[in-house]
Amino acid sequence: MSTIGNRIQQEQEEKVESIDYKMVTFSLAGKEYGIDIMKVKEISKAKRFTYVPNAEPYVRGVYNLRGDIISMIDLRIMFNLPAQKRIDDTFEDMIILHLDEYLIGIIVDEIDKVVGINSENIQPPHPIFGDINIKFIKGVVENEGRLYLILDVEKILGDRTGEEEDRIRPRLVPAAAGPERKGPRKAEAGPSEIDYSFISESLQTFSSFYVSDINRKWFTGRFEDWKQQRGKSGEEVQLQEVEDAAQFLRPFYSAHTGTFWSDEYRERLKEVLASLQTGGNLLVWNPGCGEGYETYSLAATLKEIFPQPQCKIWAHDHDLLNISTAPNLIFNSNILPDSLLDFTVEGKNGLQFNKTIRDAVLFEYHNVLHANPFPEVDLIFARDILSFQTQQDQNKLVLEFNEKLKPGGLLFIGENEEIKHPDFENISSGRIRVYRKIER
Amino acid sequence: MRVEYINPFVEAAFNVLREVLSDEVKRGELFLKSTSQPVLGVAAIVGLTGDVEGRVLFDMKRETALAIASEMNGEEISEMNDLAKATISELANMITGQAVTKLHDLGFKFDLTPPAIITGDNMEVSNSGVEALIVPVELGKGKIEINVAVRERA
Repeated sequence: MSTIGNRIQQEQEEKVESIDYKMVTFSLAGKEYGIDIMKVKEISKAKRFTYVPNAEPYVRGVYNLRGDIISMIDLRIMFNLPAQKRIDDTFEDMIILHLDEYLIGIIVDEIDKVVGINSENIQPPHPIFGDINIKFIKGVVENEGRLYLILDVEKILGDRTGEEEDRIRPRLVPAAAGPERKGPRKAEAGPSEIDYSFISESLQTFSSFYVSDINRKWFTGRFEDWKQQRGKSGEEVQLQEVEDAAQFLRPFYSAHTGTFWSDEYRERLKEVLASLQTGGNLLVWNPGCGEGYETYSLAATLKEIFPQPQCKIWAHDHDLLNISTAPNLIFNSNILPDSLLDFTVEGKNGLQFNKTIRDAVLFEYHNVLHANPFPEVDLIFARDILSFQTQQDQNKLVLEFNEKLKPGGLLFIGENEEIKHPDFENISSGRIRVYRKIER
Repeated sequence: MRVEYINPFVEAAFNVLREVLSDEVKRGELFLKSTSQPVLGVAAIVGLTGDVEGRVLFDMKRETALAIASEMNGEEISEMNDLAKATISELANMITGQAVTKLHDLGFKFDLTPPAIITGDNMEVSNSGVEALIVPVELGKGKIEINVAVRERA
């Protein structure tokens, strides 16, 4: 399995390393276009823009974005492309761009998604592209079988003077800061808000970490620390590569991620676990078990508290590389806390857990978002799993946890995560975040 | 899908295919799937019972199936006749048999059902409630997708 595992890792690394340019893609008159994500402040939907008299035909009006007044440019009219007949009062997709010191909005047919590419694959535009004047096209790139024209928004909408006479010069309204911002991120100023949304976006792309209510508290605090820390060292606040994202997320992970648990952590956990009522067998679900260090530590801890009942742990991970070594995990005694030594046996290649512990755990290559075919459990141990799912999947998973947990059962999530659900009572202790399912 | 089950299936598929075909055998990336997916045209299905319940499906295009049958029989076969079907079911039987033997050595007890062949266009297979492990195998003659859907007997 290790050779297969290595190859998977290599392939994944190659894939991740090669992405160094991201663009927001959208369609205009059935063709695909992209805009450098660093120029995009945000995307949204809006309708009914305030008409501005005497403006160029492609200026649809101005729009109030949480206090900022933004000119709205209709790219279809600007480029003489056929626009779909607009039904009044329908929302239109718009992209808010951040150019020099201006914000400007463009209206497009449909926003597609964020596409990551390697900038080396961007090819110069060919004169026959036609529909849009070639000097507005930065290049063309292929991704998953689709061709995207990358627009040079600075040339199209920018305010630099004296370049081309026939350049289209929309009238720009400076991005004015409103006196009182509404919405959740009220306290932040303009540029900081941009960094905030870009960092959260970069974390999605580089580390598939999704900022949501589950981890927003941590993210906001970390973002402030990060800004200060980066500001001091003079580095870019934004996350440029995978390594930056990993560094940003380093404090996120719960204690002893990817290692055996210390004696101290196990003692604290035992206090929480002691309140668990079990009748008969103890059933546990451990999604996202990784290489199994967590699962084995948990199995040993449970064995100490509940020596009698049969314990069964379903340990799942969708990373084949990590989980493939878990069932026969071999390790050195120097990484093992002394108290766990009693649960191990000396094997040919190093220490291994004994048969009682290993028989208690069932490692499965499994995606937790798929059907989970096992009975209701007493304990769910899911540290730092939720944050790495899309928001939709996060909600789905919380419901799944609720469904799979017996009343009175305990749900452990990451130290920097929180959930709000009427069926879960927060009984966190210290840094250990744990919820009890309310018995109804 | 229990981790211990994965390797025997992958290894058995490679050993057998390498043995019966004088052709390069390459592995694609393994992945999990729970939604229904199209069947390429010819599917051989082998059921599993014992410690687990489930089935293994070998899925390939008609042309791939014919090329494999021709090679294994040492004669040109140009239509999906009884011989071609028997050959493909035998291939499925050999691979699953070898995987189950390996699993037996590891202490897991499985039994097989006789293989069945299903052919036709526009077919789909769905794994209600069980996710399937997909092992894509690239041959010079085309692609075989081995779709393993098993679950522990509760």
